[in-house]
Amino acid sequence: MATSLSDYEKLMAGCIRCSNCKFIPALQVKSQKFSAICPAIERYNFHAYSGGGKMIIAQAMLKNRIQYTEELLKVIYRCTACGGCDIACKFFFELEPLEVILELRNHCVESGAGPMPQHKKYIESIKINHNPYGENHEERLSWLPKNTTFKEDSDTAYFVGCTTSYRRREIAQATAKIFDMVDLDFTILGPEEFCCGSPLLRIGDRRDALELMQKNVEKLKNHGIKRIVTSCAGCYSMFKVEYPRYLKTDFQVIHTSELLDNMLKNGKLELDKEVPLKVTYHDPCHLGRNSEPYTPWQGQMVKVVSRVYIPVPPKAIRRGTNGVYEPPRNVLRSIPGLQLIEMERIKEYAYCCGAGGGVKSAFPDFALWTASKRVEEAKSTGAEALVSCCPFCATNLKDAIREKGEKMKFYDLTELVLKSMGGST
Amino acid sequence: MLDREVYRALEKIVGSENITEEPAILDTYAYQWCTEVEKASRGEEPSRFGHRPEAVVLPCCTSEVQAIVKICNQYGIRFKAHSTGLGVWGAVSGPGTIQLDLRRMNKILEINEKNMYAVIEPYVTNAQLQSELIKRGLNHHMQGAGPQTSPLASHTSMVGPGFTSASTGFSGRNVLAVEWVLPTGEILRLGSLNCSEEWFSGDGPGPSLRGVMRGFMGAYGGLGVFTKCAIKLYPWPGPREWKVSGVIPNYEFEVPPYWKMFVLNFPDWDSFEEAYYRIGEAEVSMMAMASSQEGLATMFSNTREQTIEKILSDLMTKVQRYFIVLVAAHTEREFKYKTKLVNEIVKETGGEDLVEKGVVKPPSISYAEGVRNMLGSHAFRFTSCFQSTHGGMDTISMAINIAKVNVPIKRKYIEKELIGDDRGEGMWITFYEQGHFAHMEIPTIYDPADPESCKGYADYSMECNKADIEHSLGIPFFIVGDRMHDMFGPHCCNYQNWLRKIKEAFDPNCVSDPGHYISPKK
Repeated sequence: MATSLSDYEKLMAGCIRCSNCKFIPALQVKSQKFSAICPAIERYNFHAYSGGGKMIIAQAMLKNRIQYTEELLKVIYRCTACGGCDIACKFFFELEPLEVILELRNHCVESGAGPMPQHKKYIESIKINHNPYGENHEERLSWLPKNTTFKEDSDTAYFVGCTTSYRRREIAQATAKIFDMVDLDFTILGPEEFCCGSPLLRIGDRRDALELMQKNVEKLKNHGIKRIVTSCAGCYSMFKVEYPRYLKTDFQVIHTSELLDNMLKNGKLELDKEVPLKVTYHDPCHLGRNSEPYTPWQGQMVKVVSRVYIPVPPKAIRRGTNGVYEPPRNVLRSIPGLQLIEMERIKEYAYCCGAGGGVKSAFPDFALWTASKRVEEAKSTGAEALVSCCPFCATNLKDAIREKGEKMKFYDLTELVLKSMGGST
Repeated sequence: MLDREVYRALEKIVGSENITEEPAILDTYAYQWCTEVEKASRGEEPSRFGHRPEAVVLPCCTSEVQAIVKICNQYGIRFKAHSTGLGVWGAVSGPGTIQLDLRRMNKILEINEKNMYAVIEPYVTNAQLQSELIKRGLNHHMQGAGPQTSPLASHTSMVGPGFTSASTGFSGRNVLAVEWVLPTGEILRLGSLNCSEEWFSGDGPGPSLRGVMRGFMGAYGGLGVFTKCAIKLYPWPGPREWKVSGVIPNYEFEVPPYWKMFVLNFPDWDSFEEAYYRIGEAEVSMMAMASSQEGLATMFSNTREQTIEKILSDLMTKVQRYFIVLVAAHTEREFKYKTKLVNEIVKETGGEDLVEKGVVKPPSISYAEGVRNMLGSHAFRFTSCFQSTHGGMDTISMAINIAKVNVPIKRKYIEKELIGDDRGEGMWITFYEQGHFAHMEIPTIYDPADPESCKGYADYSMECNKADIEHSLGIPFFIVGDRMHDMFGPHCCNYQNWLRKIKEAFDPNCVSDPGHYISPKK
């Protein structure tokens, strides 16, 4: 596993500055308006803001051609780390723009230049309050609806996450009510639930992130947890992808959309109340392309002909192929009266909501700008409502809808499922 | 770093958000594909980092470009503009030069369905334009550089062969009226635009300076900035909705009903040549291109591993000299006529269709990648890098001659393991204009991270250039800069003297970066 920028040196040299990283995979381009994949280059225009641009910056840094400056920090952190560039690049190349972006951030933090001042505040808050929002840890459970039943000794934990606990309580409430109504055997960690580490890892504070992640693993193990269910795409990606990448873990990790899809398939969940609504679905980056686990590879690059090497045994390329794309769509299609209309940019080439990678805290105007672009795309489908499966996407997209005075509604998947079950938050 | 007065003047034009001198940002413009080859050929250590521009500016319109160019003339600053900026040709070639990144000029200004042309700005990409044209039953010529690159850049300034060249020609033949900010800062409108505000023609009524503007191979951005251009459109022989399904990389394209791909194989060059000429003359193909066995495996695979598997399979023994034909018709009647004609030509020239025989099965995605000009980029899958030598721009017969001459030259470098092994047979040929004219290039894989491989490729490239002269094989595809023009010019009526006169007349202060075009005086 690569652990420093120099580990990527040969790989980065393969960047030809082709600009594919700025657009959705060319075969999927259906209009000029919705052909971009990278919010950063779309907003700030200089090539440095693209995935390829960051690969070049990382090379320049390794060659001591450049130093960290205030302007460079902006380039590095005005990026949602959504991985769109990564998917587009890997149609032809086997480069790793997203890994390089995150490694560059780690380099930036380790060298003392980064992260941004706003990030430093939330790092402190995570250390003190166990959440990045500066909220009192004692308030973490205040979302919990009265009379919710859960079993203390269940080996399935509903990991609520910081954003859902403090900012999008309606998602937690809908989720808990659904679980209650279907008699799901689950528990919550309550005061023992701390931040999953996502905000730290995405801004390059890997050292603090790993420390936190290790503690979380120990707590989950002490509770006898074998299965983690979460309604947060960010937490899901952490437990599904990053925890096994850096630590020894064997939890089964399930997103609520997968759980609901499975329950529908095996008859444990019935959706019978009409929800007459035209909706479009936004794939969260961390539930979609970035939820594909890393497959560790140990082997050799074997020469097959002059200058051409292949990995033996074959190496899995993380292209976003195996993201959670169908479960939320299956659930939506199962809701009577609901009509799902797709946007142009979906699944592995979905456009980011704009909130991730520390952008919402450090560059809120950029986050809002990106979300407005996504809302515009959602509107172009003729949908009345935008649906997603991530509290952070929800916050940013709702902010954009409010800011622009749009009539479009926003729902988390769980809210619509609860409606179709006859419940309400 | 620019003089503060110059910086402030430029900042005033584009706004503070659209100009930068930040070294890290500048380095993302200094870094370009093939800089390593240029450096190696000059005896320098190969590196993708070339000259760092003094600043990068992002103009949003013609008047801003014009104002920037005037400032450059006023203060003696050189400039170089690029669109998406793929390749060393788009970068600045020396110190004291600013880069104009035309990314903010990205509008499709007009799609004239009746007169079949589109008016575009520099940063409209091929995929973007094609996606909008298909909705109207139209298509355009796309250069092989790919769907993410700029048709304006190619049409006005570079050679521009593409995968549909058999039916759409090359970029130089497709450009109509243009709006051109000359190196002096004056605006010149060519063709019909000059007198009618209409874009339908590049050659009149009004001045035609197509030869001066781009000559044979294009001025590679060394003669001002093209801010708008009109390009020819063609009928799109498919549905108005582009349907690709599946999840990356296993995309499936819904192949339109009257489309069929052939892989026509021939026992030798003679029968290949006869059939290729006849297919061209028959005007039945949307695509018609030839390559090597390795090229076939590369084009019809989705990953490097799939390609290697195909190369190592018995495919190699079943394919000799082949070309791929795509018949794409609007009606069943047209489809039947065209496919019948292809089959007749194959029969009469002693060939066989490897698709019909079950030797090769073009995946549905290859149809889409063909018409969206993505097949060439498959060659990047081996080492993340390739580049092409030779060029031709002559006849099909000449293209075949080049292929033959190239084999022993290339094999020397393969034996030394400096470049990728395609047995020396690697090539790509497409014809233009009913087969009367052909493009030939020799794509070659090398390792950009290994200086020896970069130097090896540079040496091989130079040997190819010498062979072009020795065997009268025409002018190379990438003929850029004084060194190349001075090498080939004396063998071609001393054309370099005319190029220099053009440069001198149009750019008296030599502010439009001449590095990949030509210097005014030797």
